Amino acid sequence: MSLKGKRILIAKPGLDGHDVGAKVIALALRDAGADVIYTGLRKSSAYIAKVAVDEDVDVVGLSMLSGSHMALVSDTIRCLEEYDASDIKIFVGGTIPEKDRAALIEAGVCGVFTADMPLEDVIRAIERELS
Amino acid sequence: MSGLAPRSRRALGRELTRLAQASVAESLAHSAQRPEPSMETARIGFTGAPGAGKSTLISRLARLRLAACRDQGGVAILGIDPTSPLTGGSILGDRIRMDAIANEPELYIRSLASRSSNDGLADNVLDLLVTVESYGFREVLLETVGVGQAEHAIRHSVDTLVMVLQPNAGDAIQAMKSGVLELADIYVINKADLPGAKKSASEIRGIVQRSQAAWRAPVIEISQQHGEGLAKLDSAISEHLAWQAEHRNASETLRRRRHYHVQSLIVRRVAELLDHRPQLLDTTNLAESYAEILQLLASDAKRYSRQEETGW
Ligand SMILES: Nc1nc2c(ncn2[C@@H]2O[C@H](COP(=O)(O)OP(=O)(O)O)[C@@H](O)[C@H]2O)c(=O)[nH]1
Ligand SMILES: [Mg+2]
Repeated sequence: MSLKGKRILIAKPGLDGHDVGAKVIALALRDAGADVIYTGLRKSSAYIAKVAVDEDVDVVGLSMLSGSHMALVSDTIRCLEEYDASDIKIFVGGTIPEKDRAALIEAGVCGVFTADMPLEDVIRAIERELS
Repeated sequence: MSGLAPRSRRALGRELTRLAQASVAESLAHSAQRPEPSMETARIGFTGAPGAGKSTLISRLARLRLAACRDQGGVAILGIDPTSPLTGGSILGDRIRMDAIANEPELYIRSLASRSSNDGLADNVLDLLVTVESYGFREVLLETVGVGQAEHAIRHSVDTLVMVLQPNAGDAIQAMKSGVLELADIYVINKADLPGAKKSASEIRGIVQRSQAAWRAPVIEISQQHGEGLAKLDSAISEHLAWQAEHRNASETLRRRRHYHVQSLIVRRVAELLDHRPQLLDTTNLAESYAEILQLLASDAKRYSRQEETGW
Protein backbone atom coordinates (compact mmCIF):
# COMPACT_ATOMS: atom_id res chain seq x y z
CA MET A 1 0.00 0.00 0.00
CA SER A 2 1.05 3.55 -0.51
CA LEU A 3 -0.38 7.03 -0.42
CA LYS A 4 0.88 7.73 -3.93
CA GLY A 5 -1.36 10.20 -5.77
CA LYS A 6 -3.24 11.12 -2.58
CA ARG A 7 -3.42 14.79 -1.62
CA ILE A 8 -3.33 15.65 2.07
CA LEU A 9 -3.71 18.98 3.88
CA ILE A 10 -2.12 19.32 7.31
CA ALA A 11 -3.89 22.18 9.05
CA LYS A 12 -3.33 24.01 12.32
CA PRO A 13 -6.56 25.53 13.59
CA GLY A 14 -6.79 27.17 16.99
CA LEU A 15 -4.38 29.35 18.85
CA ASP A 16 -1.48 27.16 19.86
CA GLY A 17 1.83 28.06 18.26
CA HIS A 18 3.56 24.70 18.03
CA ASP A 19 3.85 22.88 14.75
CA VAL A 20 6.74 20.48 15.23
CA GLY A 21 4.32 17.55 15.37
CA ALA A 22 2.44 18.75 12.29
CA LYS A 23 5.68 19.01 10.33
CA VAL A 24 6.83 15.55 11.39
CA ILE A 25 3.56 14.09 10.14
CA ALA A 26 3.79 16.06 6.89
CA LEU A 27 7.23 14.60 6.12
CA ALA A 28 6.14 11.06 7.03
CA LEU A 29 3.16 11.35 4.68
CA ARG A 30 5.39 12.62 1.88
CA ASP A 31 7.72 9.67 2.43
CA ALA A 32 4.69 7.40 2.14
CA GLY A 33 4.08 8.88 -1.33
CA ALA A 34 1.46 11.57 -0.65
CA ASP A 35 1.40 15.16 -1.95
CA VAL A 36 1.30 17.20 1.25
CA ILE A 37 0.27 20.81 1.82
CA TYR A 38 0.66 22.59 5.15
CA THR A 39 -1.45 25.62 6.09
CA GLY A 40 0.79 27.24 8.68
CA LEU A 41 -0.31 28.24 12.18
CA ARG A 42 -3.58 29.59 13.59
CA LYS A 43 -5.99 29.14 10.72
CA SER A 44 -9.76 29.55 10.89
CA SER A 45 -12.07 26.68 9.99
CA ALA A 46 -13.39 28.67 7.03
CA TYR A 47 -9.87 29.14 5.74
CA ILE A 48 -8.97 25.47 6.17
CA ALA A 49 -12.10 24.36 4.30
CA LYS A 50 -11.40 26.75 1.45
CA VAL A 51 -7.82 25.53 1.07
CA ALA A 52 -8.97 21.90 1.24
CA VAL A 53 -11.45 22.54 -1.58
CA ASP A 54 -9.14 24.66 -3.78
CA GLU A 55 -6.41 22.06 -3.40
CA ASP A 56 -8.89 19.19 -3.78
CA VAL A 57 -7.34 17.14 -1.01
CA ASP A 58 -8.49 13.64 -0.06
CA VAL A 59 -7.73 14.19 3.60
CA VAL A 60 -7.51 17.07 6.08
CA GLY A 61 -5.38 16.36 9.13
CA LEU A 62 -6.23 18.81 11.93
CA SER A 63 -3.36 19.17 14.36
CA MET A 64 -4.57 20.61 17.66
CA LEU A 65 -2.95 21.22 21.00
CA SER A 66 -5.20 23.99 22.25
CA GLY A 67 -8.07 22.11 23.89
CA SER A 68 -10.90 23.57 21.82
CA HIS A 69 -10.89 20.61 19.45
CA MET A 70 -14.61 19.81 19.66
CA ALA A 71 -15.69 23.24 18.41
CA LEU A 72 -12.92 23.45 15.80
CA VAL A 73 -13.80 20.07 14.34
CA SER A 74 -17.52 20.73 14.05
CA ASP A 75 -16.81 24.16 12.52
CA THR A 76 -14.52 22.63 9.92
CA ILE A 77 -17.09 19.96 9.04
CA ARG A 78 -19.78 22.62 8.63
CA CYS A 79 -17.55 24.78 6.43
CA LEU A 80 -16.74 21.82 4.18
CA GLU A 81 -20.47 21.17 3.78
CA GLU A 82 -20.88 24.66 2.35
CA TYR A 83 -18.59 23.65 -0.49
CA ASP A 84 -20.41 20.38 -0.99
CA ALA A 85 -17.21 18.72 0.14
CA SER A 86 -18.28 16.47 2.98
CA ASP A 87 -16.52 13.57 1.30
CA ILE A 88 -13.13 15.02 2.27
CA LYS A 89 -11.98 12.87 5.19
CA ILE A 90 -10.95 14.45 8.47
CA PHE A 91 -8.36 13.09 10.86
CA VAL A 92 -7.40 14.70 14.14
CA GLY A 93 -4.04 14.62 15.89
CA GLY A 94 -2.48 16.25 18.93
CA THR A 95 -3.40 16.29 22.60
CA ILE A 96 -6.91 14.87 22.62
CA PRO A 97 -8.16 13.49 25.94
CA GLU A 98 -9.35 9.88 25.87
CA LYS A 99 -12.87 10.95 26.87
CA ASP A 100 -13.36 13.15 23.79
CA ARG A 101 -12.34 10.63 21.16
CA ALA A 102 -15.66 8.88 20.79
CA ALA A 103 -17.45 12.22 20.44
CA LEU A 104 -15.04 13.29 17.67
CA ILE A 105 -15.67 10.07 15.77
CA GLU A 106 -19.39 10.60 16.33
CA ALA A 107 -19.07 14.11 14.84
CA GLY A 108 -17.62 12.64 11.63
CA VAL A 109 -13.87 12.36 12.19
CA CYS A 110 -12.29 9.26 10.60
CA GLY A 111 -9.55 8.78 13.18
CA VAL A 112 -7.87 10.36 16.18
CA PHE A 113 -4.09 10.12 16.53
CA THR A 114 -2.15 10.86 19.69
CA ALA A 115 1.48 11.91 19.95
CA ASP A 116 2.57 8.52 21.29
CA MET A 117 1.25 6.64 18.24
CA PRO A 118 3.94 5.27 15.90
CA LEU A 119 4.00 7.10 12.56
CA GLU A 120 3.60 3.82 10.65
CA ASP A 121 0.28 3.24 12.42
CA VAL A 122 -0.91 6.72 11.50
CA ILE A 123 -0.02 6.17 7.86
CA ARG A 124 -1.57 2.72 7.79
CA ALA A 125 -4.82 4.08 9.25
CA ILE A 126 -5.00 6.80 6.58
CA GLU A 127 -4.20 4.32 3.80
CA ARG A 128 -6.95 2.02 5.05
CA GLU A 129 -9.50 4.83 5.13
CA LEU A 130 -8.62 5.91 1.58
CA SER A 131 -8.53 2.48 -0.03
CA MET B 1 -20.70 37.32 -3.47
CA SER B 2 -17.51 37.95 -5.42
CA GLY B 3 -15.07 35.42 -6.78
CA LEU B 4 -15.86 31.83 -7.70
CA ALA B 5 -18.97 30.32 -6.12
CA PRO B 6 -18.24 27.58 -3.58
CA ARG B 7 -19.41 24.83 -5.92
CA SER B 8 -17.36 26.14 -8.81
CA ARG B 9 -14.28 26.06 -6.62
CA ARG B 10 -15.05 22.46 -5.81
CA ALA B 11 -15.57 21.60 -9.48
CA LEU B 12 -12.38 23.36 -10.60
CA GLY B 13 -10.36 21.69 -7.85
CA ARG B 14 -11.58 18.25 -8.88
CA GLU B 15 -11.09 18.80 -12.57
CA LEU B 16 -7.48 19.86 -11.97
CA THR B 17 -6.73 16.76 -9.91
CA ARG B 18 -8.16 14.50 -12.58
CA LEU B 19 -6.14 16.18 -15.30
CA ALA B 20 -2.94 16.41 -13.28
CA GLN B 21 -3.05 12.65 -12.75
CA ALA B 22 -4.23 11.72 -16.25
CA SER B 23 -2.17 9.24 -18.27
CA VAL B 24 -1.23 10.09 -21.83
CA ALA B 25 -4.24 8.16 -23.14
CA GLU B 26 -6.61 9.94 -20.73
CA SER B 27 -5.12 13.29 -21.57
CA LEU B 28 -5.66 12.68 -25.29
CA ALA B 29 -9.21 11.53 -24.70
CA HIS B 30 -9.85 14.71 -22.77
CA SER B 31 -8.32 16.90 -25.47
CA ALA B 32 -11.09 15.87 -27.85
CA GLN B 33 -13.73 17.54 -25.65
CA ARG B 34 -11.73 20.45 -24.36
CA PRO B 35 -12.67 24.04 -25.26
CA GLU B 36 -10.35 25.91 -27.61
CA PRO B 37 -7.70 27.86 -25.72
CA SER B 38 -8.95 31.44 -25.84
CA MET B 39 -5.70 33.35 -25.19
CA GLU B 40 -7.82 35.89 -23.32
CA THR B 41 -6.21 35.01 -20.01
CA ALA B 42 -2.70 36.38 -19.57
CA ARG B 43 -0.21 33.71 -18.48
CA ILE B 44 2.72 34.99 -16.47
CA GLY B 45 5.46 32.48 -15.65
CA PHE B 46 8.11 32.68 -12.92
CA THR B 47 11.27 30.67 -13.03
CA GLY B 48 14.52 30.69 -11.07
CA ALA B 49 16.40 28.44 -8.66
CA PRO B 50 14.66 26.95 -5.62
CA GLY B 51 14.90 29.43 -2.76
CA ALA B 52 15.26 32.45 -5.05
CA GLY B 53 12.06 33.85 -3.55
CA LYS B 54 9.58 33.12 -6.34
CA SER B 55 6.63 32.18 -4.12
CA THR B 56 7.14 35.16 -1.81
CA LEU B 57 7.36 37.47 -4.81
CA ILE B 58 4.30 36.00 -6.53
CA SER B 59 2.29 36.47 -3.36
CA ARG B 60 3.16 40.17 -3.12
CA LEU B 61 2.70 40.73 -6.82
CA ALA B 62 -0.65 38.92 -6.91
CA ARG B 63 -2.09 41.54 -4.60
CA LEU B 64 -1.29 44.26 -7.15
CA ARG B 65 -2.41 42.22 -10.17
CA LEU B 66 -5.65 41.36 -8.38
CA ALA B 67 -6.38 44.98 -7.50
CA ALA B 68 -6.36 45.75 -11.24
CA CYS B 69 -8.58 42.87 -12.37
CA ARG B 70 -10.82 42.01 -9.45
CA ASP B 71 -13.96 42.58 -11.53
CA GLN B 72 -12.62 40.83 -14.61
CA GLY B 73 -12.31 37.33 -13.24
CA GLY B 74 -9.46 37.71 -10.78
CA VAL B 75 -6.19 35.80 -10.58
CA ALA B 76 -5.23 32.14 -10.33
CA ILE B 77 -1.84 30.93 -9.12
CA LEU B 78 -0.46 27.51 -10.02
CA GLY B 79 2.60 26.62 -7.94
CA ILE B 80 4.62 23.56 -8.92
CA ASP B 81 6.92 21.75 -6.48
CA PRO B 82 9.11 18.72 -7.15
CA THR B 83 7.96 15.14 -6.72
CA SER B 84 10.50 12.98 -4.91
CA PRO B 85 11.83 10.42 -7.39
CA LEU B 86 12.37 8.00 -4.49
CA THR B 87 8.96 8.00 -2.81
CA GLY B 88 6.68 9.66 -5.37
CA GLY B 89 5.57 12.07 -2.65
CA SER B 90 6.00 15.81 -2.31
CA ILE B 91 5.74 18.73 0.05
CA LEU B 92 3.84 21.42 -1.84
CA GLY B 93 5.36 24.44 -0.11
CA ASP B 94 4.59 27.38 -2.39
CA ARG B 95 1.22 28.14 -0.82
CA ILE B 96 2.57 28.73 2.65
CA ARG B 97 4.47 31.78 1.35
CA MET B 98 1.19 33.12 -0.02
CA ASP B 99 -0.57 33.26 3.30
CA ALA B 100 -1.06 37.01 3.28
CA ILE B 101 -3.28 36.96 0.17
CA ALA B 102 -4.89 33.56 0.48
CA ASN B 103 -8.15 34.95 1.88
CA GLU B 104 -8.90 37.04 -1.22
CA PRO B 105 -12.14 35.74 -2.73
CA GLU B 106 -11.12 36.50 -6.34
CA LEU B 107 -7.92 34.53 -5.98
CA TYR B 108 -7.49 30.81 -6.59
CA ILE B 109 -4.28 29.11 -5.47
CA ARG B 110 -3.49 25.59 -6.51
CA SER B 111 -0.37 23.56 -5.64
CA LEU B 112 0.84 20.91 -8.07
CA ALA B 113 3.45 18.18 -7.91
CA SER B 114 5.79 17.87 -10.88
CA ARG B 115 5.08 14.09 -11.07
CA SER B 116 6.97 12.58 -14.00
CA SER B 117 7.92 15.92 -15.59
CA ASN B 118 11.52 16.91 -15.23
CA ASP B 119 11.32 20.15 -17.18
CA GLY B 120 10.30 22.27 -14.19
CA LEU B 121 6.59 22.00 -15.00
CA ALA B 122 3.99 19.34 -14.16
CA ASP B 123 2.38 16.54 -16.19
CA ASN B 124 -0.36 17.89 -18.47
CA VAL B 125 0.42 21.46 -17.48
CA LEU B 126 -1.02 22.92 -20.69
CA ASP B 127 -4.32 21.14 -20.04
CA LEU B 128 -4.30 22.47 -16.49
CA LEU B 129 -3.76 26.02 -17.73
CA VAL B 130 -6.59 25.82 -20.26
CA THR B 131 -8.91 24.41 -17.60
CA VAL B 132 -8.13 27.18 -15.13
CA GLU B 133 -8.62 29.71 -17.91
CA SER B 134 -12.03 28.26 -18.76
CA TYR B 135 -13.18 29.44 -15.30
CA GLY B 136 -12.72 33.02 -16.46
CA PHE B 137 -9.63 34.22 -14.59
CA ARG B 138 -8.07 37.33 -16.07
CA GLU B 139 -4.52 36.22 -15.27
CA VAL B 140 -2.71 33.05 -14.31
CA LEU B 141 0.61 33.17 -12.46
CA LEU B 142 2.63 29.97 -12.91
CA GLU B 143 5.58 29.08 -10.67
CA THR B 144 8.02 26.42 -11.91
CA VAL B 145 10.19 24.07 -9.91
CA GLY B 146 13.09 26.09 -11.26
CA VAL B 147 15.73 23.50 -12.01
CA GLY B 148 18.07 23.03 -14.92
CA GLN B 149 16.37 23.49 -18.24
CA ALA B 150 13.07 24.68 -16.81
CA GLU B 151 13.25 27.83 -18.90
CA HIS B 152 12.57 26.22 -22.25
CA ALA B 153 9.41 24.41 -21.23
CA ILE B 154 7.86 27.36 -19.46
CA ARG B 155 8.90 29.76 -22.24
CA HIS B 156 6.55 27.96 -24.57
CA SER B 157 3.73 27.76 -22.04
CA VAL B 158 3.33 31.40 -20.96
CA ASP B 159 2.95 34.90 -22.42
CA THR B 160 5.35 36.73 -20.11
CA LEU B 161 8.30 35.00 -18.46
CA VAL B 162 9.90 36.46 -15.34
CA MET B 163 13.29 35.09 -14.27
CA VAL B 164 13.95 35.47 -10.54
CA LEU B 165 17.63 35.59 -9.56
CA GLN B 166 19.39 36.08 -6.23
CA PRO B 167 22.33 38.41 -5.64
CA ASN B 168 25.63 36.69 -6.44
CA ALA B 169 23.87 34.14 -8.62
CA GLY B 170 27.20 33.45 -10.30
CA ASP B 171 26.08 30.26 -12.04
CA ALA B 172 23.03 31.88 -13.56
CA ILE B 173 25.09 34.81 -14.80
CA GLN B 174 27.64 32.49 -16.39
CA ALA B 175 24.81 30.61 -18.03
CA MET B 176 23.34 33.83 -19.36
CA LYS B 177 26.69 34.89 -20.78
CA SER B 178 26.80 31.68 -22.75
CA GLY B 179 23.34 32.41 -24.07
CA VAL B 180 21.31 29.58 -22.57
CA LEU B 181 19.25 31.67 -20.19
CA GLU B 182 18.32 34.53 -22.45
CA LEU B 183 14.72 33.53 -22.67
CA ALA B 184 13.03 35.70 -20.10
CA ASP B 185 11.06 38.89 -20.78
CA ILE B 186 11.81 40.41 -17.38
CA TYR B 187 14.70 39.77 -14.97
CA VAL B 188 14.30 40.26 -11.24
CA ILE B 189 17.25 40.53 -8.90
CA ASN B 190 15.40 39.44 -5.80
CA LYS B 191 16.49 39.85 -2.16
CA ALA B 192 18.03 43.18 -3.12
CA ASP B 193 18.45 43.79 0.60
CA LEU B 194 21.35 41.32 0.52
CA PRO B 195 24.90 42.35 -0.47
CA GLY B 196 25.86 41.91 -4.11
CA ALA B 197 22.49 42.83 -5.61
CA LYS B 198 23.72 45.98 -7.40
CA LYS B 199 26.63 44.15 -8.95
CA SER B 200 24.48 41.24 -10.14
CA ALA B 201 21.92 43.66 -11.56
CA SER B 202 24.50 45.57 -13.56
CA GLU B 203 26.07 42.35 -14.89
CA ILE B 204 22.71 41.15 -16.10
CA ARG B 205 21.88 44.54 -17.59
CA GLY B 206 25.14 44.30 -19.50
CA ILE B 207 24.13 40.96 -20.97
CA VAL B 208 20.55 41.95 -21.74
CA GLN B 209 21.60 45.16 -23.46
CA ARG B 210 23.61 43.20 -26.00
CA SER B 211 20.57 41.14 -26.92
CA GLN B 212 19.16 41.54 -30.44
CA ALA B 213 15.59 40.79 -29.36
CA ALA B 214 12.89 43.34 -30.23
CA TRP B 215 11.70 43.49 -26.63
CA ARG B 216 14.29 45.06 -24.32
CA ALA B 217 14.04 42.97 -21.13
CA PRO B 218 14.10 45.16 -18.01
CA VAL B 219 16.23 44.17 -15.00
CA ILE B 220 14.49 45.05 -11.74
CA GLU B 221 15.86 44.95 -8.20
CA ILE B 222 13.31 43.89 -5.61
CA SER B 223 13.32 43.10 -1.94
CA GLN B 224 10.69 41.86 0.41
CA GLN B 225 11.44 44.82 2.70
CA HIS B 226 10.70 47.58 0.18
CA GLY B 227 7.79 48.21 -2.15
CA GLU B 228 9.35 50.18 -5.00
CA GLY B 229 10.80 47.36 -7.11
CA LEU B 230 7.54 45.47 -6.85
CA ALA B 231 5.56 48.31 -8.45
CA LYS B 232 8.13 48.41 -11.27
CA LEU B 233 7.71 44.70 -11.86
CA ASP B 234 3.93 45.09 -11.89
CA SER B 235 4.09 47.74 -14.60
CA ALA B 236 6.80 45.92 -16.56
CA ILE B 237 4.50 42.88 -16.78
CA SER B 238 1.59 45.00 -17.99
CA GLU B 239 3.85 46.68 -20.54
CA HIS B 240 5.16 43.39 -21.83
CA LEU B 241 1.66 41.93 -22.16
CA ALA B 242 0.55 45.01 -24.10
CA TRP B 243 3.67 44.97 -26.29
CA GLN B 244 3.13 41.32 -27.02
CA ALA B 245 -0.54 41.72 -27.87
CA GLU B 246 0.59 44.12 -30.57
CA HIS B 247 3.63 42.29 -31.88
CA ARG B 248 3.10 38.62 -31.62
CA ASN B 249 1.68 36.25 -34.11
CA ALA B 250 -1.04 34.38 -32.23
CA SER B 251 -1.04 31.35 -34.50
CA GLU B 252 2.73 31.04 -34.18
CA THR B 253 2.36 31.10 -30.38
CA LEU B 254 -0.26 28.36 -30.50
CA ARG B 255 2.03 26.35 -32.78
CA ARG B 256 4.89 26.57 -30.32
CA ARG B 257 2.59 25.50 -27.51
CA ARG B 258 1.43 22.56 -29.51
CA HIS B 259 5.01 21.64 -30.31
CA TYR B 260 5.80 21.47 -26.58
CA HIS B 261 2.53 19.67 -25.86
CA VAL B 262 2.98 16.92 -28.44
CA GLN B 263 6.61 16.45 -27.56
CA SER B 264 5.95 16.11 -23.83
CA LEU B 265 3.12 13.62 -24.44
CA ILE B 266 5.40 11.43 -26.53
CA VAL B 267 8.24 11.56 -24.02
CA ARG B 268 5.83 10.62 -21.27
CA ARG B 269 4.24 7.86 -23.34
CA VAL B 270 7.65 6.26 -23.85
CA ALA B 271 8.26 6.46 -20.09
CA GLU B 272 4.86 4.83 -19.45
CA LEU B 273 5.69 1.98 -21.84
CA LEU B 274 9.05 1.39 -20.19
CA ASP B 275 7.47 1.49 -16.73
CA HIS B 276 4.85 -1.08 -17.66
CA ARG B 277 7.15 -3.31 -19.68
CA PRO B 278 10.68 -3.21 -18.34
CA GLN B 279 11.41 -6.26 -20.49
CA LEU B 280 11.59 -3.88 -23.44
CA LEU B 281 15.10 -3.15 -22.19
CA ASP B 282 16.13 -6.82 -22.01
CA THR B 283 17.37 -6.87 -25.57
CA THR B 284 20.81 -7.56 -26.96
CA ASN B 285 21.23 -4.13 -28.47
CA LEU B 286 19.99 -0.60 -28.20
CA ALA B 287 18.51 -0.50 -31.68
CA GLU B 288 16.32 -3.48 -30.87
CA SER B 289 14.83 -1.80 -27.75
CA TYR B 290 14.30 1.33 -29.78
CA ALA B 291 12.53 -0.56 -32.57
CA GLU B 292 10.25 -2.37 -30.13
CA ILE B 293 9.22 0.90 -28.51
CA LEU B 294 8.51 2.39 -31.92
CA GLN B 295 6.33 -0.58 -32.73
CA LEU B 296 4.27 -0.05 -29.58
CA LEU B 297 3.97 3.63 -30.41
CA ALA B 298 2.79 2.67 -33.89
CA SER B 299 -0.03 0.62 -32.43
CA ASP B 300 -0.97 3.65 -30.31
CA ALA B 301 -0.92 5.68 -33.48
CA LYS B 302 -3.55 3.49 -35.14
CA ARG B 303 -5.81 4.23 -32.23
CA TYR B 304 -5.32 8.02 -32.31
CA SER B 305 -5.09 8.81 -35.99
CA ARG B 306 -8.84 8.42 -36.36
CA GLN B 307 -9.58 11.02 -33.70
CA GLU B 308 -10.72 14.47 -34.68
CA GLU B 309 -8.17 17.24 -34.83
CA THR B 310 -8.64 19.66 -31.95
CA GLY B 311 -7.77 23.29 -31.44
CA TRP B 312 -4.17 22.74 -30.32
N1 LIG C 1 16.55 38.51 2.53
C1 LIG C 1 15.46 38.21 1.77
N2 LIG C 1 14.92 36.98 1.82
C2 LIG C 1 13.83 36.70 1.06
C3 LIG C 1 13.26 37.69 0.20
N3 LIG C 1 12.20 37.10 -0.46
C4 LIG C 1 12.14 35.83 -0.02
N4 LIG C 1 13.11 35.58 0.90
C5 LIG C 1 13.35 34.29 1.61
O1 LIG C 1 13.84 33.31 0.70
C6 LIG C 1 13.40 32.00 1.08
C7 LIG C 1 12.79 31.27 -0.09
O2 LIG C 1 11.60 31.93 -0.52
P1 LIG C 1 10.52 31.26 -1.47
O3 LIG C 1 9.57 32.34 -1.85
O4 LIG C 1 9.96 30.03 -0.86
O5 LIG C 1 11.45 30.84 -2.72
P2 LIG C 1 11.10 29.89 -3.98
O6 LIG C 1 11.66 28.54 -3.66
O7 LIG C 1 11.84 30.53 -5.13
O8 LIG C 1 9.62 29.90 -4.17
C8 LIG C 1 12.43 32.21 2.23
O9 LIG C 1 13.10 31.94 3.44
C9 LIG C 1 12.06 33.68 2.13
O10 LIG C 1 11.72 34.24 3.38
C10 LIG C 1 13.85 39.02 0.19
O11 LIG C 1 13.44 39.94 -0.52
N5 LIG C 1 14.95 39.21 0.98
MG1 LIG D 1 8.28 28.28 -4.33
